Amino acid sequence: MKRKSQKDNVIIQILLFLLAIITLFPFAYILMIALGKNVISVNTLIPREFTLANFNKLLTNTAFSNWMTNSFIIAFSTMVISVILVSITIYVFSRLRFYWKDKLFNIILLIQIFPLTLSMVSIFKIFVELGLLNKIPGLIIINSTLASSGLIMLAKGYFDRIPYELDEAAMIDGASRIQILLKITLPLAKPMLAIVAIQSFIIAYNEYTIASAVMTTNVESLPLAVGLQSIITGQYGINWSLYCAGAVMGSIPMIILFYSLQKYFIGGLTEGGVKT
Amino acid sequence: MRKKIILFMSFILICTFFLSFGQVKAESEQTIRIWVGAIPEEKQVMEEIADDFTQETGIKVEIYQKLEIFTVPSALVNNAELDERPDIVYMQAPDIGGLVESGYLQSLNLEAEFINRFTDVAFDAFTYNNKIYGIGYSNSTYGLIYNKDLISTNNLPKTWEQLFNLADELTLRSEEGNIIRRGIYINATDMWFNYPLIRKYGGYYYGKYPNGEYNSYDIGLDNEGMLEYVRKIKDLKSQGLVLNNPNKKDYSEIISDFCDEKVAMFFYGLWSAQAFNNANIDYGIAPLPENSKPLTTVEGFVINKYTKNLQESIDFMQYIFRDENQQKLIEAGNRYEEKTGERNPTNLAVINSDYIQSDEILKNISKIGQNVEPFPNIPEGPLWYNQDVTYSTFKTIFFGDRNGNAVDSEYKLHELANYIKKNVSFMNDPIEYIEIPSQLYIFGLLGITGLLGLFLFLKFKRKSKVIKKKYNKKEQFLAFILLLPIIILLGMFYIYPIIHNIYLSLTDYSGINLRDFGFIGLANYKQIFSEEVNGLLQMVLWTIIFAFSVIFLSFIFGTLLASILEKTNAKIAKIYRLIYILPWVIPTVITLLMWKGFLETEGGLINHLIGLIGIPNISWLTTPVMAKISTILVMVWFSFPYYMVVAFGFLKSIPKDYYEAARMDGASRMYMFIKITLPLIFQAILPMLIMGFVMQLNQFGVYMLTQGGPASDRLGNPGATDLLITYVFNTAFNTKRYALAASYSVIIFIFVAIFALTIMKINNKKVEG
Repeated sequence: MKRKSQKDNVIIQILLFLLAIITLFPFAYILMIALGKNVISVNTLIPREFTLANFNKLLTNTAFSNWMTNSFIIAFSTMVISVILVSITIYVFSRLRFYWKDKLFNIILLIQIFPLTLSMVSIFKIFVELGLLNKIPGLIIINSTLASSGLIMLAKGYFDRIPYELDEAAMIDGASRIQILLKITLPLAKPMLAIVAIQSFIIAYNEYTIASAVMTTNVESLPLAVGLQSIITGQYGINWSLYCAGAVMGSIPMIILFYSLQKYFIGGLTEGGVKT
Repeated sequence: MRKKIILFMSFILICTFFLSFGQVKAESEQTIRIWVGAIPEEKQVMEEIADDFTQETGIKVEIYQKLEIFTVPSALVNNAELDERPDIVYMQAPDIGGLVESGYLQSLNLEAEFINRFTDVAFDAFTYNNKIYGIGYSNSTYGLIYNKDLISTNNLPKTWEQLFNLADELTLRSEEGNIIRRGIYINATDMWFNYPLIRKYGGYYYGKYPNGEYNSYDIGLDNEGMLEYVRKIKDLKSQGLVLNNPNKKDYSEIISDFCDEKVAMFFYGLWSAQAFNNANIDYGIAPLPENSKPLTTVEGFVINKYTKNLQESIDFMQYIFRDENQQKLIEAGNRYEEKTGERNPTNLAVINSDYIQSDEILKNISKIGQNVEPFPNIPEGPLWYNQDVTYSTFKTIFFGDRNGNAVDSEYKLHELANYIKKNVSFMNDPIEYIEIPSQLYIFGLLGITGLLGLFLFLKFKRKSKVIKKKYNKKEQFLAFILLLPIIILLGMFYIYPIIHNIYLSLTDYSGINLRDFGFIGLANYKQIFSEEVNGLLQMVLWTIIFAFSVIFLSFIFGTLLASILEKTNAKIAKIYRLIYILPWVIPTVITLLMWKGFLETEGGLINHLIGLIGIPNISWLTTPVMAKISTILVMVWFSFPYYMVVAFGFLKSIPKDYYEAARMDGASRMYMFIKITLPLIFQAILPMLIMGFVMQLNQFGVYMLTQGGPASDRLGNPGATDLLITYVFNTAFNTKRYALAASYSVIIFIFVAIFALTIMKINNKKVEG
């Protein structure tokens, strides 16, 4: 019996290892191309020479640092707004009783199934009317909408697990609603908030379709995803090395954010809360 | 009750607010704005020129750089009337047709003295309906690229026959018959660079009327000459001189072979000159034999019709096109001493300057640039050169259909020409107005009252059963206030677009009707349901299968991983978790493109790797079935980490005694996983799975991976991996029929909504029961 499980374990370990390689492979490859010299196609097995020139060129020859700053501003603001917006909305849906509650919640969820990619013409119109075209605040607003409405469902499931008795107890002690939210409910919901934070950051940082349509005038005001894409869709010399160098540098903020927040949620969504 | 009314009213208010928002006021301006191209050096020079201009005239000039010239037309349309509108815009000549038709460009009156200072193509390319709308600055064209070590400049072929004979001579074969070097290398699926050859045999771009205007109904692709062209290419193919990789749309393979000295000649421009230089290839560019004219895309400056500073803009435009300023710009555009060939001047003084004449490559390309055929600037232009359509036609002609069977070239060429013709007539023929039938109103009214009745009935029934809940008024008000922000945002970006889309779907809004589009009733829907219904059904089916498979597999896989990791050594598990989560963290735009490259059939990394262990090439993305499987797998690769993280959280909440009890009964690990873990996790995260499913229905990543391909054997049908959303996007993007795309999106919305509602209903029932 014991032997069999040991053998099983070895097989599982090998499989896990293989899977890790499959997962890591594309990233390792991006890094390799970023360091390669004169890479013409993505499928160059191993570049002939390695160099840091691509990174240098990226920083001096393109508006990369601007794109990065823009993306960071957009993603960070979106993150903050989304966390606040999601917390409030979920608090209302999970703690308050009001007319049309379930229906409204369903409507909020249902309405999002309409793909924004198909409403570009309309979104454009809204941006023009509100004077948000070509402006970073416009992107922050739409990304916040996108992120918070998408994350409401995930967050509600978690919020509902925090027992209402805690609120009631605090209320008997004379705490106000805001105090309860800030001092009791939200701290208990930290892992969920961490997920909301990172997800909204990812959504805003990766968003490409809308940004490419509404940022129309200036190169310097593009976010990273759009700016990088223009390196490979440009007419002259598709430059994979430059693109991959951008990809490597562009991933750094995400990785930092991710690994600094991971202890909150990778440890488990239910930790800290009360078991159901 | 009052609260309900308030809620309803504010909802209506939000909607009407955005529908009725008036035009933004504009104020007069003193500065002119100019959009320039992507080259930083050129922008710098433009700034200097603008400074000089300001000093001379006192008019301020603001310069904006545009990276992607392809996006300029739509950007112009969108910004043309705003406060920050551009006055002068740098764009490609082929894009002007639609803009002129929609009234966005200002026609120019130029003096003969001015015109004489440039090559003819600078104005020909920008002439539409006998009026000049812009001035060409650079002329992107191509010729015969050749390796000077193999072909001496004096020995260049004068006729096409000589060219092919020379190619034959230069082709080297090993003893086994493998080709070591090709005299010429041709991409058979391409029409742009092969155009001079097509022309030689008698094929052509849209025919012309005697007055020189294009006749877009005359498509020169199904005549006798084209058949001869096909025969010639087939002949070259049998000699091994045609790129034997039907799935390669670009020239990267030919270029890299040229850099390795495995190719002596090919038709191309200077787009990859840097690669040639880096590979230390001594190359030259020569005019094509028999004075054949290559196609060219002229880039130049146009004036926004809505400019507030017309005279100033014209003055600045003339200023840019002074000989000395052209010289500075062209030198900067070619990055000074690097002489990259990125800008090919139209100004005669620049062409004759030392800068151009001292460099053989630049000299030759500028010479070619004086004998070219500008790509037609009529709005129908892109229909002819719709890469998806022409590519898939020539691919089937030269490489067989999706199952590899040979096809009749004549039939395929006719099909291609008819397809283009059909799209041309869509663009030009007035669309028939289709009255919304009065029955529909009645049915709609009946339906709505029926639904309302049902709703009230159910409500009444429920009321009688359940004691009416009492709501605290203060709490209600608080809830409403707190929800206001999200409701406003959703109203703005989700509800308004839906209404707007319904409205657009009833009009003829399109690329050439951007301003005065009108109501055409149900004509768009009629077209979808009469002509494209088969494709629609096929797509609906595939969309559902796709979304279901992706979510199902990601869920199983994610949960499995989570439960395995939970049982392994905590430290190791932590490392693995951090690794597995990566696909979720890195921008998808980047990784999708990587996957696309890896999965290529010829030379793709994955085929390369499995080739090392002796497995033959697999067509990952090019045969329908494999493409479907690959698409699903790649998307699973993207989404399993999310479910792993989520499942991991819920695993801990499963009581341990469940497993203990199962173990007592001697259940295996697998059994426990399937019978205990999966169902419990499934129940816990069902809402997330539903949400994920709906998101996958709208998975746009597929577009970046396959563009919906491999294309259907019948032109105009959706490709094998076309989801509803990618197909609609393609329709909107390629044919610019925005109203048709809007009709599709309304259908998609109804389809997805019904789907989601049903699932939710089932879900609710389960929870209740």
